[in-house]
Amino acid sequence: MALKDYRAMMERCSSCAGCKFIPFDKIKSLRFGENCPSIGYYNFMTYSARGRFQIGQSVLDGRADLNDTVTEMIHSCTSCGACDVTCKVARYNLEPLEHNIELKAYAVERDRVLDGQKPVIENLKKENTMIPGTKKTNRTDWAKDLKLKDLFKEKGDVAFFPGCKYSYDEKLQKVAQSAVKLLQGAGVELGYMGAADNCCAGRAHQMGFYDEFKTKAAANIKAFEKAGVKTIITPCSDCYHAFKRQYARLGFEVEVLHVVEYVDRLIQEGKIKFTKSIPMTVTYHDPCHLGRLGEKFEPWNGKEKKILNQIQIWEPRRPRYNGANGVYDAPRNILKSIPGVRLAEMERIREYSWCCGAGGGCNESNPEFSSWTAGERITEANATGADALVTACPWCKDNFGKAVDEDGNKIEVLDVIELVQQAL
Amino acid sequence: MALSREIYQALEDIVGKRNISEDIGVCETYRSIPSQSSAHYGPSKTWTPLPQAVILPKTTEEVQNIVRICNKYKIEFKASTTFWSTMGHIGSDYAVQLDLRRMKSVTIDTKNMTAVIEPFAIAATVQAEAMKVGLNVSIPGVGCSSSTLASTAAWAGFGPGTIFMGSTPENLLGAEWVLPNGEVLRTGSHGSGDGWFCGEGPGPSQRGMLRGIFGTAGTSGVCTKMAVRLHPWPGPKDFPTRGTIPAYRAEFGDNLKAYTLCFPDWKAWARSVQFFHESDVLYLGHRQFSMFGRNLKAAMLRIISSADLQLSDLETVLADPEVQKQNESMKLDYQIVIAGMTKRDMEYKEKAIEYILEQTGGWKNEMVLEKELHDFVLLYMTRLGHKNLNYVMCGAYEGTFGLSSNVWKTIQVIEEAVEIKRNWELEHTHIAATGGDSAMGSTSGIGGGGATGWEFFTNFDSYEDESVEGTNKFMDGNQEFHNKYSFGPDFCRWNSDVRHMNGYNYTQEEHDALYINNPQPWVYAYQYKMRQAINPNNLCGSYFRTLTPSKLEEAEQAK
Repeated sequence: MALKDYRAMMERCSSCAGCKFIPFDKIKSLRFGENCPSIGYYNFMTYSARGRFQIGQSVLDGRADLNDTVTEMIHSCTSCGACDVTCKVARYNLEPLEHNIELKAYAVERDRVLDGQKPVIENLKKENTMIPGTKKTNRTDWAKDLKLKDLFKEKGDVAFFPGCKYSYDEKLQKVAQSAVKLLQGAGVELGYMGAADNCCAGRAHQMGFYDEFKTKAAANIKAFEKAGVKTIITPCSDCYHAFKRQYARLGFEVEVLHVVEYVDRLIQEGKIKFTKSIPMTVTYHDPCHLGRLGEKFEPWNGKEKKILNQIQIWEPRRPRYNGANGVYDAPRNILKSIPGVRLAEMERIREYSWCCGAGGGCNESNPEFSSWTAGERITEANATGADALVTACPWCKDNFGKAVDEDGNKIEVLDVIELVQQAL
Repeated sequence: MALSREIYQALEDIVGKRNISEDIGVCETYRSIPSQSSAHYGPSKTWTPLPQAVILPKTTEEVQNIVRICNKYKIEFKASTTFWSTMGHIGSDYAVQLDLRRMKSVTIDTKNMTAVIEPFAIAATVQAEAMKVGLNVSIPGVGCSSSTLASTAAWAGFGPGTIFMGSTPENLLGAEWVLPNGEVLRTGSHGSGDGWFCGEGPGPSQRGMLRGIFGTAGTSGVCTKMAVRLHPWPGPKDFPTRGTIPAYRAEFGDNLKAYTLCFPDWKAWARSVQFFHESDVLYLGHRQFSMFGRNLKAAMLRIISSADLQLSDLETVLADPEVQKQNESMKLDYQIVIAGMTKRDMEYKEKAIEYILEQTGGWKNEMVLEKELHDFVLLYMTRLGHKNLNYVMCGAYEGTFGLSSNVWKTIQVIEEAVEIKRNWELEHTHIAATGGDSAMGSTSGIGGGGATGWEFFTNFDSYEDESVEGTNKFMDGNQEFHNKYSFGPDFCRWNSDVRHMNGYNYTQEEHDALYINNPQPWVYAYQYKMRQAINPNNLCGSYFRTLTPSKLEEAEQAK
């Protein structure tokens, strides 16, 4: 779809303010009632999903152009989808998140991008990673000491796909390595993509760089198919979303599992057993791309039809992505099964979770905004009295690790796998 | 005419660089288009004027300083919060838009049962904070995503809670008000430094001047802070929600129950409402789901309370004989919630409902007695968090007819209005064919009981020009009905004399020409003098209806 194809949505948005708040039935306080980092930080209504619908109309009508402010606004969206969830509590024909990303693509097509985005995309093109400064040649260093089948050279059913962050960040590599050992210890035969291990490019899609995403996705799909991969296991929520939703949209059919899903399954089957108690209160942050954006893609090819004069329906019935079927329980099941760990929930959880701020490439392109967004979450985490903030995404973990709450306090940030490892 | 650099700099000095913008893109997003939002002057595909700048003040002092600059340079200004309605938007080319989003504090005074709130405190957050201490706030029918301060200070806010908690204007206590001339007036007890607890004093009341009956939609300056009365809430401190989005539901305990009461005819319906007005039984009362129309409400209730169903399933759900039976059952209905402050109180209220139903021949709709649906409706009615359902069927709606009157008067004419709308639905394709009767609103528009506060939901497609134009024609036709009964302007045209269809203000000359012919023109002349006292430069748009007094004198001399 092109931006003009969203015209009906733009004109059917009613400025109800839903896109600025978590679902109203879920609001428990003034402090943590809002959902959109972008309007939360910038404050102008322009930055809300409604504002973006309105900018879309103005740009298409020629009343506004892609000047510097508009360009920055368009890209100052973490593509977290929180607006989408609340909007769809009561609407069946609006797709705010899709539109937000389409607006980015519209700007990208016209070369209206942010300075901070350029090195990220350049590195994706040149080195097949979305972390500026990292090289393709070092991509599989993390796997050196692991006994993993090289699926570039031989066939295998299950591919472990760590993603850029776990591949390059030395502090985070341990999490990926632990995850592999954990799965192997439970008898899972794993491979990795070896020389064909490249960025999934899901974040390029979130940023509106459609061409770059499609190029990389096509190459990855070819490599997975050549290796005969039937299941991809990843510890990265962004990769999870990319494979499960964006690659699926391109026709790639493969089982996609996040590590927490697999580990949860192994715990339930008794294949992972804990021997140590970890006396700790933790709170869990739902990564956007594992939670509300982690729903399975369902192919649909249909059109709008009107019944009873003006009531708009889809023919055939269209799949609805509203966060109802994201991955929420698996990580919580794991945490609850670790001896000594107590889970204290934040106010904004599951489909209406607050974003970490790293989404949409904003950690690179809009670092202050991204850091503020993470800080908001740490404030919420600290309000629970938890000793640690646990998550299941390297981008979230990294962004939280650098941020402080509104009083300048930090919190220990852990990946679910790190806690599991400690308790074995 | 763009703002001069001197003026822009002066405004920027007040709020800081981050909180003001004159960027075309930013300003474009602060325009309103009445086809996409209820404007009460009819759907139109014309945008309101482009503001010269958008300003985000944080404090009363900042608002005051902005208003002073506007007076110095004769710049129109208008403040708004959630920007849902066109009413909050500017109406001339040389104007700035104030976005009060950064002002959103809520301070609860449990002992005095009040909340001091700022403009961007939406009703959901005020309610959430109040419920922590066993209190509740009256949420108008517009829903919890609206600003409590805005509906209290500047518009008519009645809804399900009105019968127990009063309409939002009735809950106005002390206020902090930046007059259009830049002075700050602290009203009620706040004006004498005695706290916020009372609207009338000690200290100046000025309730009538601040808002009057229906509010002046932002024409009276900027209310930056106010206290509102809170009311007992015998439920949990926060909602124990369960269920899958979007079909959240909650069980509040044995002392909070929701029912849909149904009646064989309008007379029985009105008798029951009158009983409730006299009996202090209801916590909430609203004709809610009729917003989907007489023919669709049971099916829509099934759809919106389901995690799986969607509009594409409507025809299938409508074909279900059980749904048809339930729809027939709730043809003439309304929704209620009762809240027992004690066990005995709850028993009394349950008995009272049974008695009222017995006296009127009414019944409880079976479908809404199902636990899952009951818990959905209870949560829905208590928080009113589904305003966007107003738009769910077609993307746009506007209220028409109104019929906000004594229940006995309303029921005499309602079926005639139903027939007018139903005929239009059958003869044209501009509006959704929902069954004529889509009269939705409060069973009481004032605290304790009294007049209904209704509108007929008229759903149309804001994307389709033909639908927008046809809806306007339908609404024009409805005015004949209103003229026949001397009901005044149709609900959808309430604002048609204060903002042009092109989004611009009325000039004083235009208002003079209109109101000189009003049966009571001196009211508007008096309002002119009121405006002169606080808004000598006439800088806040034309929603305050005024008549130049000299015109009245000239007219009287001519007689």
